[in-house]
Amino acid sequence: MQTRITKLLEIEYPVIQGGMAWVANAALAANVSKAGGIGFIGAANAPAEWVRSEIRRAKEITDKPIGVNVMLLSEHVDEVAQVVAEEGVKAVTTGAGNPAKYMKQWKEARIRVIPVVASVAMARMMERAGADAIVAEGMESGGHIGEQTTMSLLPQVVDAVSVPVIGAGGIGDGRGMAAALMLGAEAVQLGTRFIVAKESTVSQAYKDRVIGAKDIDSVVTGRSTGHPVRSLRNTMTRQYLEMEKNNVSFEELEHLTLGALRKAVVDGDVAMGTVMAGQIAGMIKKEQTCAEIIQEIVQEAKETIKKCSIFAEDSCGNEAEHA
Amino acid sequence: MLEKMKEIIAGQLNVNAEDVKPESRFKEDLNADSLDLFELVMALEDEYSVEIPSEELEKLLTVQDVCDYLKNHGVEA
Repeated sequence: MQTRITKLLEIEYPVIQGGMAWVANAALAANVSKAGGIGFIGAANAPAEWVRSEIRRAKEITDKPIGVNVMLLSEHVDEVAQVVAEEGVKAVTTGAGNPAKYMKQWKEARIRVIPVVASVAMARMMERAGADAIVAEGMESGGHIGEQTTMSLLPQVVDAVSVPVIGAGGIGDGRGMAAALMLGAEAVQLGTRFIVAKESTVSQAYKDRVIGAKDIDSVVTGRSTGHPVRSLRNTMTRQYLEMEKNNVSFEELEHLTLGALRKAVVDGDVAMGTVMAGQIAGMIKKEQTCAEIIQEIVQEAKETIKKCSIFAEDSCGNEAEHA
Repeated sequence: MLEKMKEIIAGQLNVNAEDVKPESRFKEDLNADSLDLFELVMALEDEYSVEIPSEELEKLLTVQDVCDYLKNHGVEA
C-alpha cells in the first residue's frame, strides 16, 4: 500500500504508532518500525537525555525509520528539540502547540516535521511554516484531546492543505483505516491498539484494563480546566468528575492527577492512575505482536475497501447476498 | 485601523467589541485559546493582505502587539 506518506517516511505500510507519553518507548517504537510501519518515541515531559538514550536504543533494535513525538509544553522542550536534531530521526510529530520555532532546526537535520493539529487554521499555518505532513487527530483519541471528531476534522484538514494528512483518533482496526483513507488520509496513526502490543512494556494491569474495556468505559476529565483528557473510567476518574461537578480548585484537581499516568503505566495502579486510552479501547480484545497488528489492519483495510466497492455500482450485483 | 480590527477580533473570539481594548491580552482577558489565535491570525491576514508567520504568534500577546506588528509590516494605520 503506497501513499505519499509511505514515500515521505520510507516505510512499507502507512501505519503510524502514536507517541504516547510513558507508553511509547524505544521497545515499542522500534518494533512497530521493524514491522513496516513507523514508531514514535513519546518524549512527553521526559528529560532530553532520556530521549537521547531511547533513540539510540531504538536504533540498536532496528535500522528502519524511527520518529519522536515532541510535546511542546514540556519544560525540557528546547533540549529535547536539540537532541532530536543531533541524534537524527526520520520524523518528528509535535503535540500541544505550535512547533514553528523548531522547524528550521529540524529541517536542517533532514527530519520530516509532522505537527498534530486540532483545527483547519492550524493545519494551514503549519503547512505554510514548512510542515511535511499533518496529523489530524479527532477527540476519539486517548490522552489530551480537542473538540472535533475525526469524522469531521479529517476531511476538512484534507481539503485545506496540499501536504499529505494522517488520520488519528478512533482508529483501531482495518475498517477504521479504510474509513480514514476514504476521508482523504494517506496514513493512519494508532495509539491504543499498540498499548497492548506484546512488545509494549506497560504494566500487565494496564493492558488488561484496555483489553477488558467496554465502549462506554471511555470518559473525559478536565473539561472545566480547559485541558480535557480521555481515559478509561476508574476510581480516580469518578472522584475527579465529582470534584469537577463541585467546582473544586484547579490545584486540587491537578493534585489528583499528578503522576497518575506513570502510576497506571509503570506501577499498574489502574484504580487511581490515569489509564489513557482512546474510544476504540472497547474493540481491542487481545495482545498481539506489532507485526501481527500491522498486518491485520492493512489486510482488513484492503478487504473492507474491496467489499465496499459494490456500493459504487448502480445496481447491486448479487441480490441473494443482500437479501 | 483599530475599529476594524476590534470588529474582526470580536467576531473571531465571540466577545463584545467594546471589551476589545489595545491593552487586552488575548488569553487572559479575551479567553482565547491557541486554536482561536490561529483563526484570528488567518482572519487578519485575509483582511490586511499580510502574512504573519506562525513563529511570530507567541509574541502577539495583546491587541496592541498585533497593531504594532501590522504597522511594522507596512499595513496602513
